Order: sequence, then structure tokens, then C-alpha cells
Amino acid sequence: MTDSTGGAAPAVAPPRPGGDWSSRIRAAGLRIGGLVIAILIVVIIFTVLSKPNTFLTITNAVGIMRSMSTIAIVALGLTLVIVVGEIDLSFGYMYGLASILIGVAWVVWGWPIWFAIPLAFVAAIGLGSINAFLVTVLKIPSFIVTLGTGQLVFGTTLLVSNTATLNPAYPPPGKTVPQEQVDWFFGLSNQDLPLGIPMQAIWMLGVAVVIGFILSRSLFGFRLKAIGGNPAAAELARLPITKYKFAAFIISASLASLAAMLDFAFIGSVQPNAGVSLTFPVFAAVIIGGASLSGGRGSAIGTLSGALLLAIIANGLALLSAGSYLSNFVSGAVTIAAVVLDRFTQSLRK
Amino acid sequence: MSVSPPARSGLRIRGLRKWYGDTRALDGLDLDALPGEILGVAGPNGAGKSTLIKILAGETTADGGTIELDGTAWDTATDRDRVAVVHQEPQLFPNLTVAQNLMVGREGTRVMVRRLDAAERSLLTDLAILEYADRPIDTVPLAIAQRVEIGRALARDARVFLFDEPNSALTQEESVDLFRRMHLLAGAGNVVILVSHRIAELAEHTDRVALILDGLCTATLDGEALTQEGIAAGLVTGQAVREPGEQVVVHLGEDAATALRLRDWTHVGGEFQAIDLHVRTGEIVAIVGVEGSGARELVRSIAGFERGNGHIQIAGPTGGTSVADGTSLVSADRQTSLFSNMSIGDNMVVRLHGEITRAGGALRFGRMLEIAHELRDRFRVKADSVHLPIRSLSGGNQQKVAIAAAIVRRPEVLVLEEPTRGVDIGSKREIYRLMREYASQGHAVIIYCTEVPEVFEAADLAYVVSDGRLSAPLLVMNHPDVEDLARAVTRLERHGSGRPAAAIQAAASPSE
Repeated sequence: MTDSTGGAAPAVAPPRPGGDWSSRIRAAGLRIGGLVIAILIVVIIFTVLSKPNTFLTITNAVGIMRSMSTIAIVALGLTLVIVVGEIDLSFGYMYGLASILIGVAWVVWGWPIWFAIPLAFVAAIGLGSINAFLVTVLKIPSFIVTLGTGQLVFGTTLLVSNTATLNPAYPPPGKTVPQEQVDWFFGLSNQDLPLGIPMQAIWMLGVAVVIGFILSRSLFGFRLKAIGGNPAAAELARLPITKYKFAAFIISASLASLAAMLDFAFIGSVQPNAGVSLTFPVFAAVIIGGASLSGGRGSAIGTLSGALLLAIIANGLALLSAGSYLSNFVSGAVTIAAVVLDRFTQSLRK
Repeated sequence: MSVSPPARSGLRIRGLRKWYGDTRALDGLDLDALPGEILGVAGPNGAGKSTLIKILAGETTADGGTIELDGTAWDTATDRDRVAVVHQEPQLFPNLTVAQNLMVGREGTRVMVRRLDAAERSLLTDLAILEYADRPIDTVPLAIAQRVEIGRALARDARVFLFDEPNSALTQEESVDLFRRMHLLAGAGNVVILVSHRIAELAEHTDRVALILDGLCTATLDGEALTQEGIAAGLVTGQAVREPGEQVVVHLGEDAATALRLRDWTHVGGEFQAIDLHVRTGEIVAIVGVEGSGARELVRSIAGFERGNGHIQIAGPTGGTSVADGTSLVSADRQTSLFSNMSIGDNMVVRLHGEITRAGGALRFGRMLEIAHELRDRFRVKADSVHLPIRSLSGGNQQKVAIAAAIVRRPEVLVLEEPTRGVDIGSKREIYRLMREYASQGHAVIIYCTEVPEVFEAADLAYVVSDGRLSAPLLVMNHPDVEDLARAVTRLERHGSGRPAAAIQAAASPSE
């Protein structure tokens, strides 16, 4: 995981003559430090409040990792879009379309699963390209573009699915789904790993390492931050703005599809409304993780920590039988508090 | 326009002082503007003109000094109805109509939106903008919006009319109309001040010109002394001195290789036309021109950031190269030349790619640091660490980083817009030295200049752009001092020369 720690880049490096790698890690640590403390505080609170041996157990930790992984995978994709200075509101609907496309192609049309899955990713590349085209070539604000394409995608999902829930165990009359395909597909998310670690958490960590590498150690990430930080200067410096924005939107849509596929494999069935409720927690994870909505700042480890904090809060409140409305209150308040704290520490730094 | 109060002695400014942090903007400025006359104000960038305008407009407060209007003290920060500022960007509500803009703040107390009253209608008629009354401001031409600004001020009984570079974005006819209105306003007994870089217009339209240098009014020119050349020389007095032995050897031989050639080069938006320009390697060429002359657009078009038609050729080490590969641009505004979210070092290497990556797109942090340290030392950027945020540097050092970042890919033609705007004197010398060093390594440097001292100190050749046309070249070496060069540059500026000046005077005279 050290690979993704440098997400904050040297922009905030402390004044350290000749500082190099170590100072980069230390700088990122400062930003992440606050989040780690917040997570520890929340863990302590729930440990004290919950019944003994319910919250601080391996089983529960595994459950938290499972529940955060969907949000984290989608949020890691969104982080790239946010860093380059744009907004993506369509990922939740892309999630729904991807799962329905896999389900319909596989269960209804009778495609082999190995063709159904690429179909979902082709759709993701298509949506990402349309978003990026409208934003970069037609210069329409990404908020409006993705607000619109999100609804277009949702409509497509309802049309394709016929608004029905799909389950490979119950194919439509006259169709069969080969059992070895079912086993292989479900195995993507359900496998017996040591300590009961969920397969989805492994996927999440893999994605985090890749996005962490991109943001902190690659030319791609370096330039994404430059473009997001100052688009006008990026144009004068002849950075490949259009190409990079295409890449960011395509990755965001593709990771939403990946998360959808993994959830389908874990749950065993899909329904067209899935993903609609992702918008808030995914954005919250990215924002709590320290990404700036005005662009130029964001890290994989930050987004991952944001998703973890939200998952712990949701889990802890559920263990206390607090009711879902309280969960909404708390996650909303935490998101705003994170931004307020960030403003405060940024102003101290100046 | 308004009832005459007993004493109308005009504007009297004494000992005006203003500091921004450690920087002195105004240093005890004295200025008198009499009713009925147009007072010109001229000065180089950073001399304190814009601070003076901001204080008079009530946008900032002075640290010391007094301002009197018609014999009584005037607190510009609270009494803002007395003054109208007309500039390139009118301070109007772009989404409201012309009529609504006229009424803002004076809507009355009725619930229903009121209509224009008779006085306001006649005001709009006088300004010839009644037909625009129901059009939103953002759909009318700039010249109309400026007249609305004047109208709004007249409706509020303003006394002081401040024109701040008002016509840099206007057409010739629109400018003529604006000057006619200035003369009418002055003729009606108002205080009219024209702040401008356009020396020809100052000489033609004002009664007196106050020269502002280093936060002081250094001279007031009127009568016989009020000529274009007099203003030009007065503006640069003592600004640049050629130290013995400092003048570098200029490689202006015909044998030097061509770095850039423009033929029949015309801006798609019409800002410049049919430019022919030949720049050789080793040369620093200054393109001089006021805002709106087309000079800035010409310089940006060389780097491909304004679109031009015609022939452009950039020499590469092996034959011709593309504009994208052969040029780098540093804009005048550091907001668009630097990445404020990144460190000093990252800003320096942001234009590189192959040199700082290994296979797979991974960054070579060691190499990035090496390049950044090398550039920091070569450009003498005063920074303890290249990891510090770019914001932590002074303006001069930020500008050095911006130029370093543009040079790092070794463009054939380095294009700089106002390379030392807002830069301290020490950094200025450093920047000129670096430009010379880069040129002497077999490249061409093209700078857009608005200030003659910069041309004098930095350039080998200067071209003046006026009304989108390029003058014959001036060999800077041939001018013994900066005043002489200023007079020569002014002679090449053709602003106002082709204008029917007599007509303007005639239009103004009835009210005088």
C-alpha cells in the first residue's frame, strides 16, 4: 500500500532542503493523518457503545471491508475525474446499466458470461467517451453533461431490463444458464479466503494500488493534477487536456462497471435500480478523502480512508440499532465536517 | 447636468499614500483636476495609476492624504455616487437590461417594477441608446455598455468621470464617439480624467497630462509641452540607463539563421493584418504596442495561441518544425503560467514528458529533482527547497520559474508576454540576463512589451504595432538613451494620426 501513499504529491511538502521520497511520504502522511485519527476515534466510540464482542471482531471487520468495497472502487474512479477538475454524476447509473447488461446478455439472451462481461465494459467506454466528448469538444460543463447522460443511461437500463430483476438461477422459460459459468462468475466475488477475507476487498485493494500508482507516481497522474489545478496554464503548456479527460471519464465509468459486476457476482441477482443510491456515499468518500472539487488535488489512500470511515459509521450505527435516519444524519454531517476541517488546515498552511 | 453649487473648484488630491504590504503604490501623490478640462494621466505599469483609480472609485482606501471635491472633503469609500469609472469592462449587471441598469439602486419603493421616467428617457436619448433600453447588457456592444455606464453616473449626479483605458477594445468610430462624449462631459463642467497608455490620444484630447512615476506625480505637461514625444520622453526619464560595457554584442549579421518567418500573417479576428516578420537566431525582438493595437495577439499567434492565416515558418535544428514543437509561450499573467496547486520543482518540469518518465509511464522523481535543482541554480530562484509550494515565492521568483518551465524544452522561438510585469528590479535584471543567455545559445526570443525601458534594456530590435500593422524595425543599439528610444517608438505609433481630429474639436466646442 505504500505505493498509493504519495497521493498528495509534493505540492504540500514541508520545507526540507533536498527532501525527496521520504518527504513526499511524510507530506501525504500529514493529510492522511487527520483521517486516521478520525477513524480511530470512531472505532473507539463504537467499541465502547456496542455490546461486547460485536463491533471489534474479525467477522465484523470483514463485513466492513465487504461493505466499503463497492463504494471504494467506484470512488477511486471518480477521484481521477475530480482531480482533473470535472464532475461525474453518471457513475451510479453506469453501475446499474453494467449489471443489467451482464444479466440480460447472459441470462435472457443466452450469451456466454465471457461475452456478457465485455459488453458491460464496452458500454462503460462508450459512456465515458460521450461524457468526455461533450465536456472537452463541445465545452459543456461536466455537471450538466453527466446529469443528463446519467438519466439517458438509467432510461436505457430500464428499457433493456424491462424493469425486471434478473437471477441466473431463474432464467426465463426456455433458457438455461450453464452451471460452470454460474460457478465461475460467482467465484469472482465469493471464494473461501483465509480469515474469511472477502474477495471484493482484494479487488478493491488491487484497484487502489493501480489508482494510487497513477495519481502519485505516474506522468498521467502528475499531469491530471496540473490540468485540474489550472486548466488555462495547462493549455499554454500544451498538456494533452482532451486525451486525459477522456481517460479519466472512461476509467470512472469502467470502475463503476467493475463494481457492478462484482456485486452481481456476490449477491447473485441484479435489479435495474441498483446503483442509484451510490451517488452520495461515493462523492462523500472522495471529498472526505481530501480531494478538491475545484480540481488538482486527490489521492487513492485518501479516498479509500473516506470510504472506510463511512463504512465504519454505517456498520457501527447498525450494530447499535440506531435506525437508518441517524446513519444519514451522521454521514451528511461527517462529509461537511471533513470539508470544513480541510478549509481550516489549508488556511493554516498558507 | 446638476444645479451649480457655489464653489466648483474640481478635484484636489494632496499627499495620497497607499501601501500594499511592503510595496509602496502611492508615495504622497498630488493631483488637481479642474472642472471643464480633460486631465490625462499617464505612467508605466506599476507606477500607481491603478491604485489611484481604485481609491477614487472607492474600491480601496488610502493610507494617508486628502481628497477634496469642489472644496469639501470627499470620502471616496462611502460616497461612491460622485464618481463614474468607465473602462474596458463596464461595472454593470450583465443580465439586466440597459433600462434596468440605469434604475438599479433607484427603483423607488413601489412593489411593481417601475418604468423609465421622462428624465431617464431623455438621458438615454442624449446618449443615443434609447433603442437598446430593453436589451440585456451582455447582448449589446461594449461601446453601448460604456455609454450606459456614463448614463448611470449622470442619473446619479456624478461629478467625476474617470476613463480608464476606455477604448482599447473599441473600433475607430466608437472611439471617436467616446472622445466626443468626454469633451461634452468636460464642457458641462464635470471633472474628466483620462488614464491611457495611448500617447497620441492623450496629446490630442486632453488639456493637461499628469505623469505618474513611482507613486508620485512627477510632472504636468500642458500647452507647448503637451506633445506625443514630450509625454513619451517624460514617462521614461531615468527609467533605464545603459551601463558602460553592458550592451551585449548583437548578432545581427545577415548570415544568422532564420528562426521565424511570417508572411502575410493575418489574425482571424482582424486584430492584425498582413504582417511580414523575419527573426533570426540570437535575436531578442520586442513587439511593442498598447492594448488593442494587435501586438499582444500577434505575439500569441506566433506560439499558436491566437489563430492566424498566412505563412508561418519556424526553423528547427534540422529544417522546419511545427509551432507546437518549436515555440513556448509564457503569458503575462502568472495566474495562467503557473500551477498554484503544485510545488516549485513540479512547475519547472511540468512541460516535460520523455525525460522524466521510464517505461510504463512511471515518473523518475530523481531526474525531476535533478532538473529542478539545476534550473533553480541557473535561474537563481530564491527558494530553500524546490518542494515548497509555488505560492511561497515572490512575484519575481515566480516569473523566473515560469520562464524556466518554458525554456526547459528548448524551443526554437521563446515567446514572452510582458516578461517583467510586477517583478522587482533585481529579478528584472536576472530575467533579462537569462533571455540574453538563451538567445545567444542559438534561439530567438520574442517579447511583447508595453514599456519602452524594457525594450531599451532587453531587446535588439523593436517593432511597433498600431492598428494591427507592423512598423519598420528599430535597432535599439542606435538609440543612446531611453528617452530617445521612447520618442522613436512614439513616432511609429500611428494612433490618432488618421483620425478627423477637427471634427471632434468641432463637436466639443458648442458646449465649451
